[in-house]
Amino acid sequence: MYWEKDLETLDRKELERRQLEQINWTIRQARNSSFYSGLKINRIDSLEAIQDLPLTTKEDLRNQFPYGFLAVDRERVIRLHSSSGTTGKPTVVFHTREDIDRWQNLIARSMYAVGVRKNDVFQNIMGYGLFTGGIGFHYGAELLGVMTIPIGPGNSKRQIWFLKHLRTSVVHILPSYALRLYTFFDELNIDPKKDLNLKIALIGAEPHSNEIRKKIEELYGIKAYNSYGLSEMCGPGVAFECTQQAGLHVWEDHFYPEIIDPDSMQVLPEGEEGELVLTTLSREAMPIIRYRTRDLTSLIPGNCPCGRTHRRISRIKGRNDDMLIINGVNIFPIQIERTVMAIPEIGNNYLIEIRKKDYMDKLLLKVEVNEQVFQGTLSELEKLQRKIIVELREELDLTPEVKLVESASLPVSDGKAKRVYDFR
Amino acid sequence: MVIELSVFMENRPGKLEAITRILAESGINIRGISVASEGEFGVIKIIVSEPDRAYGVLRENHFTVSKRKMVMVEIKDKPGGLHDLLVLLSMNRINIEDCYGIALEEGKKAAIILEVGQFPRTEKILRGEGYTVLSDQEPG
Ligand SMILES: [Zn+2]
Repeated sequence: MYWEKDLETLDRKELERRQLEQINWTIRQARNSSFYSGLKINRIDSLEAIQDLPLTTKEDLRNQFPYGFLAVDRERVIRLHSSSGTTGKPTVVFHTREDIDRWQNLIARSMYAVGVRKNDVFQNIMGYGLFTGGIGFHYGAELLGVMTIPIGPGNSKRQIWFLKHLRTSVVHILPSYALRLYTFFDELNIDPKKDLNLKIALIGAEPHSNEIRKKIEELYGIKAYNSYGLSEMCGPGVAFECTQQAGLHVWEDHFYPEIIDPDSMQVLPEGEEGELVLTTLSREAMPIIRYRTRDLTSLIPGNCPCGRTHRRISRIKGRNDDMLIINGVNIFPIQIERTVMAIPEIGNNYLIEIRKKDYMDKLLLKVEVNEQVFQGTLSELEKLQRKIIVELREELDLTPEVKLVESASLPVSDGKAKRVYDFR
Repeated sequence: MVIELSVFMENRPGKLEAITRILAESGINIRGISVASEGEFGVIKIIVSEPDRAYGVLRENHFTVSKRKMVMVEIKDKPGGLHDLLVLLSMNRINIEDCYGIALEEGKKAAIILEVGQFPRTEKILRGEGYTVLSDQEPG
């Protein structure tokens, strides 16, 4: 059940003692970098005092490109990863051999926690390359000792061929791609529930609602577990769901989590929603202190029945910068997803478009019709359209326009799904 | 009894053609077609020579399609032929949800496709009154 029982179930007092020690180690280590060299605080005496340390932002990482955060000799670095910089400079993250070892260990710990074992067959359908998702899981899975198929994303028919003929039991996949992949089974005459040996999907790298998870579980007849990470911390393996599926355990022996109010920057108590701030506790090449992830979540109070003492965060609600303001109403795309994915007549994909018309914001939602439940009448479609509008109005407090589209007609990428198009 | 395929479709130019092309390329004969539309989207209803194969072909091409059972009955070639048929059905309190006509044998004969609530009974009544009730298997 545990990959490292001692560490995963460590007494909270002892865990916190070690965290404090590691934060002070991180401060010392970080001072070796040019960005943190001027840090005014040498050490802190309690975990609460971490609030006295300054926050670090994505902007800082970008401005310090390429070596401003590097805290070891360049020769000790064995790997660089980079986050998708769509505009301007990318952000780069460096790893020593020991950083890589720790990272793959956290992936192995996460996979083991949800039941992945040596005798499984693991198909890694996540992008390899600069992106951390594919490579991170690849090495973690190998450390665990599971047969790993480094297939990467895309080429859906080949994915299904491997799933079937190699009796794949575990996949690591983007939730949006899991839904997209499902649309190919029909034409290949393969029933994912009967003809495959699939048991577990590890899903992550894009915020998704619990409804999307349930949909994936139902379509494939499997369990899907939420993975959380970000390249600035290492990549996936920062936090992971256990089999309770009630929040993601932050691996607190390697990362120290805080939740702050994104406006006042004040630390919020457990249970309150705000921006996740993370401090690395063991990174050598690139320690980062109080990094603003921009991801909105909360720390879940109380113990998890699984016995792990590491605190849990709730499902990521979205990013600060994902929030849409429509005619003055604040809306997170995930609220829309949650609503539409709970309606069975809706297929696997949707898209949100926002436009300005006569000085008003108009929200247009395009949803695919679920071919499995389509009865063949016009009246059911009209009814469905009205139902979506009513349910969204209740959730969002505004009336969207809803357009029904054919299944598999909305654009999908093999990478992270782009579902919001703001034309204002 | 015949199988009708109904296909969900956005109302965009060229959409109907996409269906007819796919079926033509697969050697499937379209015997009848009807469109119900709401403005932005609609449902295309088609009667084809090989409904099961056509269903498979459309699914493979990612169309949202469903199968429905319909009654197909030949209309007598005389004035008031359709009227007599409808009177017979209403006399027997059979409600018609949907109906459209198709041509048989290059226009010499016509048939009507009926969506009814109680179709085994409907077929029995029609046969009892001397109507020719057609099925997918019979050549149109
Ligand atoms: Zn747990």
